[in-house]
Amino acid sequence: MNMIEVKGLKKSFGSLTVLDGVDFSVNKGDVVAVIGSSGSGKSTMLRCLIDLERASGGTIEIQGNPLVKDGVYVPEAQRKKAISKMGMVFQHFNLFPHMTVRQNLELAPKVVQKLDKEQIRRDSEEQLAKVGLSDKADEYPANLSGGQQQRVAIARALMMKPDILLFDEPTSALDPELTGGVLEAIRQLAEEHMTMMIVTHEMNFAKNVAHQVLFMDSGKILEQGPPQEIFENPKAARTKEFLSTISK
Amino acid sequence: MDFNYLWSVVRMILLEGVGKTLLLFAVVIVISIPLGFLVTLLSKCRVPPLRWIANAYIFIMRGTPLLLQLVFIFYGFPIIGNSLASAFHMEFFRDLFQLERMNAAFLGFSLNYAAYFAEIFRGGLLAIDKGQYEAAKVLGFSKPATTMRIIFPQMIRVALPSVANETITLIKDTSLLYAVAIQETINVAQSIVNRDSNILPLVVAAAVYLVLVFILTIFFKWLESKFNHDKPKKGRKKRLASPEQSL
Ligand SMILES: Nc1ncnc2c1ncn2[C@@H]1O[C@H](COP(=O)(O)OP(=O)(O)OP(=O)(O)O)[C@@H](O)[C@H]1O
Ligand SMILES: [Mg+2]
Repeated sequence: MNMIEVKGLKKSFGSLTVLDGVDFSVNKGDVVAVIGSSGSGKSTMLRCLIDLERASGGTIEIQGNPLVKDGVYVPEAQRKKAISKMGMVFQHFNLFPHMTVRQNLELAPKVVQKLDKEQIRRDSEEQLAKVGLSDKADEYPANLSGGQQQRVAIARALMMKPDILLFDEPTSALDPELTGGVLEAIRQLAEEHMTMMIVTHEMNFAKNVAHQVLFMDSGKILEQGPPQEIFENPKAARTKEFLSTISK
Repeated sequence: MDFNYLWSVVRMILLEGVGKTLLLFAVVIVISIPLGFLVTLLSKCRVPPLRWIANAYIFIMRGTPLLLQLVFIFYGFPIIGNSLASAFHMEFFRDLFQLERMNAAFLGFSLNYAAYFAEIFRGGLLAIDKGQYEAAKVLGFSKPATTMRIIFPQMIRVALPSVANETITLIKDTSLLYAVAIQETINVAQSIVNRDSNILPLVVAAAVYLVLVFILTIFFKWLESKFNHDKPKKGRKKRLASPEQSL
């Protein structure tokens, strides 16, 4: 069973077709980098997977549970179940500004999963230590750097014990010197065999960490394969063009 | 300056006038803020007729003077009650619309202020980034949990300065009771002015309002500081960094 299975995924905003028949699957433990030029539909594709955007057609299955089948969505309870083991990290972190770092981590386990208090406290301490922010537990997000905020967002997602994590340009909103810590946290997750899809413009990171690279262009996956193949030996002319503009 | 006279004026205004002012203020705050919340929720509701009702309510209450609304309730309601009573041959209507003076004031002020608070809260909701809803959704929060735990607290923070403003306006608006002949601060002060041909009571009345507004201002400053988490603590960092202030 694949972790994510997508067939013929379509999405339009009004008359604008943004996804035009996307097919791919993600195996357990795979790290998939999604690259492509601005407006090619990367974010929209990711957002469809976690039910933040409504697909106009096609099929999405998460861990064998359908979210949408041939353009027909399953009822809400089943949708919630299908995406319950999937987390997402956003470009702009989206931390809850009125809560401390610790409260950001602990709220969902408490309210959604209704776990035991002490269990939650142990988890949050473990996750914060993992991203190197144990000393920031009682700070509010506004007092952290962007890089620290994004690491908190990763820790918050991990609190829900996801099987799959989606990242939409996790370092694009950061100053260049702050991206390292965030990429390191993701790299560590890859070593622990977390299944991940990462939309990114960090080509070196994609090269070194991803098992699969999807190149998207105008709402389609134009080329996919292991990073060596895509980066060293791209077949499509559009891929070559994209890679040459980005390396400049 | 005759301090005995000043003291007697202050006593009279405090005992006979300020009580009504404060009572009206307290009752209106307690009713209109939750009612305002409710109207905000209705104006965001998925059922269109409920939305229309909420929006029409806000439009009418904000679009007409409070004084007109008060006069309508004080003098218009009994007439409506009488007509209904004779139309349906039910005396019950006459009593229903014949409100006791202070109750009429509670009703008029609360309905009016609820509309303003609803509008303030709605603005607060608009200020919340859609990323907050998305983060809540991917973490599995239900809609009610998202509203109560994530959206409301942020909405209140955004709305607080406007709520403070509106509250201060309310303290001063209570003087509209004067126009419907209820003994409140200004009314009492003026009757002393007429009796003694001395303007001191008006100065005392002004001082009363200033003190009340001052207390409210301090209270809201304190409340805002409790909610101000989304601004970085620049002040503190600066203080730590500058040597001459660490003395
Ligand atoms: N809510 C929306 N309403 C209308 N059009 C939208 C909406 N969201 C995205 N689009 C359009 O869909 C297209 C694809 O957007 P998307 O954000 O998926 O691109 P992207 O590949 O993530 O680009 P970027 O690298 O700039 O983030 C764009 O043309 C965008 O303007
Ligand atoms: Mg994007």
